[in-house]
Amino acid sequence: MMKVGLYIHIPFCQQKCLYCDFPSHANLTNLYQPYVAALCREISGLGGVLSGCIVDTIYIGGGTPTVLSVNCLSQILEQVHDSFSIEKTAEISIEANPGTVDFGKLLALRAVGVNRISFGVQTFEESLLLSIGRIHSATQGVEVVKMAQQAGFVNVNIDLMYGLPGQTTQQLSDSILQAVELDVSHISVYGLKVEDGTPFAIMQQQGALHLPDEDTDEAMYELTTQLLPQKGLARYEISNFAKIGYECHHNLKYWQYQPYIGIGAAAHSFWQKERLANMTDVAAYIRAIEQGLLPIAEREIPERSTAMAEYVFLALRTVQGMSVQKFNDYFNADFFTYYGDAIARLTGKSLILTTKDRIFLTEIGMKYGNVVFRAFLP
Amino acid sequence: MKTSNIRNFSIIAHIDHGKSTLADRLIEYTGTLSSRQMEAQVLDNMDLERERGITIKAQSVRLEYMAKDGETYMLNLIDTPGHVDFTYEVSRSLAACEGALLIVDAAQGIEAQTLANVYLALDNDLEIITVINKIDLPSADPDRVKQEVEDVIGLDTSEAVLTSAKTGIGIEEVLEAIVKKVPPPQGTLEEPLCALIFDSHFDAYKGVIAYVRVINGTIKPGMKMKMMATNKTVEVTEVGVFRPTMINVSELGPGHVGFVAGSIKNVKDVRVGDTITDADKPVAQALPGYRKVTPMVYCGLYPVDTSDYDLLRDALEKLKLNDASLVFEPETSIALGFGFRCGFLGLLHMEVIQERLEREYNISLITTAPSVIYKVFKTNGEVFEIENPSRLPTPQEIEHIEEPYVKAMVIVPNDYVGVVMELSQEKRGEFKDMKYLDTTRVMITYHLPLSEIIYDYFDRLKSASRGYASLDYELIGYRASQLVKLDILLNSEIVDALSIIVHREKAIYRGRILVEKLKGIIPRQMFEIPIQAAIGNKIIARESVRAMRKDVLAKCYGGDISRKRKLLEKQKEGKKRMKQVGSVEVPQEAFMAILKID
Repeated sequence: MMKVGLYIHIPFCQQKCLYCDFPSHANLTNLYQPYVAALCREISGLGGVLSGCIVDTIYIGGGTPTVLSVNCLSQILEQVHDSFSIEKTAEISIEANPGTVDFGKLLALRAVGVNRISFGVQTFEESLLLSIGRIHSATQGVEVVKMAQQAGFVNVNIDLMYGLPGQTTQQLSDSILQAVELDVSHISVYGLKVEDGTPFAIMQQQGALHLPDEDTDEAMYELTTQLLPQKGLARYEISNFAKIGYECHHNLKYWQYQPYIGIGAAAHSFWQKERLANMTDVAAYIRAIEQGLLPIAEREIPERSTAMAEYVFLALRTVQGMSVQKFNDYFNADFFTYYGDAIARLTGKSLILTTKDRIFLTEIGMKYGNVVFRAFLP
Repeated sequence: MKTSNIRNFSIIAHIDHGKSTLADRLIEYTGTLSSRQMEAQVLDNMDLERERGITIKAQSVRLEYMAKDGETYMLNLIDTPGHVDFTYEVSRSLAACEGALLIVDAAQGIEAQTLANVYLALDNDLEIITVINKIDLPSADPDRVKQEVEDVIGLDTSEAVLTSAKTGIGIEEVLEAIVKKVPPPQGTLEEPLCALIFDSHFDAYKGVIAYVRVINGTIKPGMKMKMMATNKTVEVTEVGVFRPTMINVSELGPGHVGFVAGSIKNVKDVRVGDTITDADKPVAQALPGYRKVTPMVYCGLYPVDTSDYDLLRDALEKLKLNDASLVFEPETSIALGFGFRCGFLGLLHMEVIQERLEREYNISLITTAPSVIYKVFKTNGEVFEIENPSRLPTPQEIEHIEEPYVKAMVIVPNDYVGVVMELSQEKRGEFKDMKYLDTTRVMITYHLPLSEIIYDYFDRLKSASRGYASLDYELIGYRASQLVKLDILLNSEIVDALSIIVHREKAIYRGRILVEKLKGIIPRQMFEIPIQAAIGNKIIARESVRAMRKDVLAKCYGGDISRKRKLLEKQKEGKKRMKQVGSVEVPQEAFMAILKID
């Protein structure tokens, strides 16, 4: 039976972080109930579509899913179980902000089947948390991770960020070590990118955002990629590190060109070679569902050459790279012939390595991933 | 219509003094076009002309005007290009007329361009009607401007017409003045055909269309006409007039202005200034004043995407159909691959062609810094001309080099005399003359190397004088100068397309500024890129572009792959506008960086 991942988007936050341009909103508490109802309706509507499939990963992301009550969250999961067949060993993840959970809620989440929790900690440095607009303290960060483990979560992720305004390499190192000390199974480390339209972008324009210089930024990247593997968390994707066997199965689907269905406002799906996106506007999404309409805002079947490029650049994000055989089977093409020039050029620059059946980024290639990715675009 | 009721006139004005607006009013007033057909500034056809507010090609329109004396007159307006690049074209347009309207801005007074064109008109014995325009402006001072015209040009302004083309004041007076003052054409029907070509354009169906002013005789379809300078004979297929769209007529007689078509394939056969005559009954002598137009400024044009080479060649050929003064020949650059060395009348002409190639033909171009034609005298006695700096032989082989000089006339308010002289001095100018046009405005004359003018003289003149200075120049000949070739090395390799010829004394300074400028233009890449300036083997300046530290998308959030892909696509699109030179990606503007220094 075909396996499929589910992504469920919760577009709510208690407060918007200053760097964030994800589809999420603060002050929409009045929409929580109608939104959850809409989600359930969308899920139930998809039951038929996925009738021949088995769901093996569920990822509740946001926003901050944990702003919703356990009651709401379990309502959603119940609907999922009612509408789809779920694999017994399915990975069921939820994202959580340390400021929005307590022991009771964590226990309850475990009880409704959530078996992986991902905390947006970003840093364990108090002053930095404040300056990027997080609602929680560093201590809370430590506390909730411990609580989650006590509540029975074996698979815990901590999201960290580097390149934050005023952040030093030492502070990053401290945060990484703190996360490691908490003995979590998974750590993601993302470099800050100032996105258009965010408060940070405005601050940057006004010269009020003091980001680490490029040397420091590079040092932070190097530190991350060296320190974590030393501490037993192997790098398995450009920004992701895990103990062996704890890689995030849901995220791997994105990189391995596997199908997934996105549910909720702004959620994205990849289904039967088509990329779809739901409406971003929460109220519009709810309205569409209530009127029995499809909430889809965009859909595109990428052209073959584009699809091939996606396949390659997504797979190359992972440390194990891409299976040439699988690529050739999927597209009925010959990878080495089709991309001969690009492969020669990139190999010449020591950005990629190829074996008979695999192609993967070198360490330099990871650092200059975009150079490689662009080379495969039509 | 009797020739005594024909008036052929042109309009002389500085840019922005209201030439096109006045022309539009005349068209409107005489009912040549209904107001519904009027589009602002009818005569400037090209988008580029409208956007820049300049006229690039000559245009013509026939107006019919019922004068106060009760007679109907045929007024042929020949609108001339208003830029120093096109001085010769202007002179031929003027030669097609008996009179000219001299438009002077009532607030700004005479400018260098006006003056140069007035002298051209006087050379052609035209009757000049002074029109003081923009009298509606609060700062207008018509009396002062009239006085200036009297003092500087020596024209009687007692009957000058005061207008505001914008608000429509004085339009009838202008038309009356044309009727009363511009002499009718003198030609006769009996003489053999003699007509002056003042412009041409290419029509995909009709071939080259010559714009002509008939002096004597008539021209009509079926007859054989001969272009005297090119010695080309064709049968006339169509003749017509501009209203302002082309309308066929049965014939054009003495004094008439219109167009002639004759299945002529090549615009080169229809040269501005040439004389058309009857092949069966030719005139003995062509009209005076014809000369072959030669380019003054050259640059390399290369497609960013090498596969666009054929496209570029086709586009240049198409543009050349309409523009005999554009020359080009294939050229190869080590850095840029295959392209063309193109010659232009001047900088504006160059910019216009570049813009049209990019806009109308959608070709992404790399333009190398413009160069003049240098005369190189080798130690072995050989003499040759180069228009591409990278072709300069080694210093040992060169006896001396000569470069073109121009006589430049600058008109500025007297407060700016100091800065203009300082700038001209810095540009290796030789002071010639200075005179007061009135109590506040001064005309300064310098002899300057043309290469300095095409660098940035005009831009700097404008900024140093807060926009008040106006400039006109003409070529006066070649002079020996201490010139050297300045090379630029990227990643230790000479980039031939970046080489320039400079005066020895300026080489170090220019080299230094240029590498600094390039440092700002060349984006950071995966490795450090040294940028050096060298004269011969001697490095005179060095900078480097530091390596980019990393370049990778951190996150593919929530499965939104399309967004990431689009971001990568956008980055890739940006890269496409760069040229791979050796291992370095160089943006287009780097090749023009030299123009933006000092």
